[in-house]
Amino acid sequence: MSLRSLLRKELHWSKRHIFVLVFLLIALPLFFAGTSFLFQDVIPREVPVAVVAEDESVSSIDMGLVRAGMAPYTEPKPAADRAEALRMLERESVYAVVSVPPDLRSGETTFTLTVDGSIVPFQSSSEVIQNLIELELNRIEGADISIEREIVGEEKQLPEYLLPSFLMTLMIFFAFTYVPYNVGRDEVVLDRLRVESSLEALLASKLAYMTALMVVPILVFHVIATYYGYAIESFHPGAVFVLLLSFAFMATLSATVVILTRFSGAGQFVNLLVMLGLIALSGLAFPLGFFSPVRTQIAQLLPTHYAMVAVRSLMLKDSSIATFADWIAILFGLFVLSLFILEGAIIYYRRES
Amino acid sequence: MTGEPSTDSKEAIRVDGVTRTYGDVTAIDDLSVAIGGGQYHCLLGPNGSGKSTLMRLILGLTRPTSGSIDRPDAQIGCGFQHPNFYPGLSVRENIHIFARIVGADDWDWNQTVVTELRLSRALDREAGDLSGGFARRLDLALALIKKPDFLLLDEPLGALDDVSQTRLLDFLGRYAGDGNTVLVSTHEITEFEPYVDRITVLHRGELVFDRRVEEIPLDGDESLQSYYVDTVLAREGISVDED
Repeated sequence: MSLRSLLRKELHWSKRHIFVLVFLLIALPLFFAGTSFLFQDVIPREVPVAVVAEDESVSSIDMGLVRAGMAPYTEPKPAADRAEALRMLERESVYAVVSVPPDLRSGETTFTLTVDGSIVPFQSSSEVIQNLIELELNRIEGADISIEREIVGEEKQLPEYLLPSFLMTLMIFFAFTYVPYNVGRDEVVLDRLRVESSLEALLASKLAYMTALMVVPILVFHVIATYYGYAIESFHPGAVFVLLLSFAFMATLSATVVILTRFSGAGQFVNLLVMLGLIALSGLAFPLGFFSPVRTQIAQLLPTHYAMVAVRSLMLKDSSIATFADWIAILFGLFVLSLFILEGAIIYYRRES
Repeated sequence: MTGEPSTDSKEAIRVDGVTRTYGDVTAIDDLSVAIGGGQYHCLLGPNGSGKSTLMRLILGLTRPTSGSIDRPDAQIGCGFQHPNFYPGLSVRENIHIFARIVGADDWDWNQTVVTELRLSRALDREAGDLSGGFARRLDLALALIKKPDFLLLDEPLGALDDVSQTRLLDFLGRYAGDGNTVLVSTHEITEFEPYVDRITVLHRGELVFDRRVEEIPLDGDESLQSYYVDTVLAREGISVDED
């Protein structure tokens, strides 16, 4: 009797919280099942590779032949010269550079496939791609092509490569779980805070404080990296700046969701979903060429992807922050925009109070 | 007739033709009232009469659907129907934090508040673990620490024991006597009767009357509470047999 009554109570609760259940039982499974199509290939087939002529004597016909030969296994990208191609490599816009020598069809010719030593997950794949391209290019009539693999920069180990990825994942996790929790916790005292101060001041103090707190996990990673003797700049000032800026941007977004959903549980779920989406789709750990074209396009729309590339490059390659100035400027612009959106949410909250 | 304070507008909170609706429900209907002049002012009304909504409107926590509210450039302190403080911090920490937020650096006054509200022995207890009475007292303390010119209290006697009620009423009486305005929202005026200067009665969001106590025509030994109850009942069309 008691069990039946309690089951009825559960049913009653479910009716009252139908949106929560719809989210958990339908929307979330739909998200995971629906995004499964984004993982299409085991072997990367769409790796962006810069194709550049070794000198001006390389004909456009030869360049076209090379691009066509590479197309089944890579996504050839044009580059004006080798310097630009290497810059693209540094920014992970491409994962390899192929230098095409002149006189492609006049006997023995050697190509150079340049890869970055710090992009550890691509090392084995690049060897496979090297063989496949070689096979494909030797179909060209009169060609006797061999490809040499050249590694630029210091070769890294997988743990070294993954450390920045874990750090960015942690930033996303904190921004979309701890920040909403912390903001939501103040709901019980919100009326007093609004009277004695303002929502703007409250949120500004929280965002500033929590962004500053994020230096602590970065330092912890630095200590661990030092302890294990990892050859990375784990406390690179530029990388720390990008990590904190990314966190501030994401924390502002998650706080906006909390305010727009009026501190309700729905906001926590929305933030959770955004967090899962960013972690799954930003291409945090593996080069974009490992993913399907759709997923690659999605990643290229997410600021977290560019922040990740910048942080990884600054930590692993000791790149100059100027290399990523445009991306960092856009990230900063998005952060400023998110502040305006947060202010809009606060105005809406007040209007609806 | 109104019991409006005879002060200039700069020293009063003026609610002018304010209406507040929530969907189809009108919580406050074209209400005009002024609060100030160092009065001990009771906002009286049954449940759902709009008292808390009016308090929230005055505090700026809710926006009027129409009409306006002018607040003077003065300190306004507030005690809430549901106590507002950080439950995860101690009483002492709550007082210190809010004192800093409001810039209340008169620590002698803060000590006076703690003593008057009998909070001393609870200072190091976690606020979330406080009984209803102590929670109410902490909320009142937070309302008082900045020594506000206007003290707005929503149902301040709720959960307080008799001794605490008496001490609080005396304290509020003295506080209003010092030239500060005290506005108390309640549905039961008996305890406030010896202290109160002015009464504003709301019913279903409308103003029933707003008078100084001496202007209320009480019959013989009729109390303010029974006068108020009779007025509200009459408003609802229920006649009350006289003895």
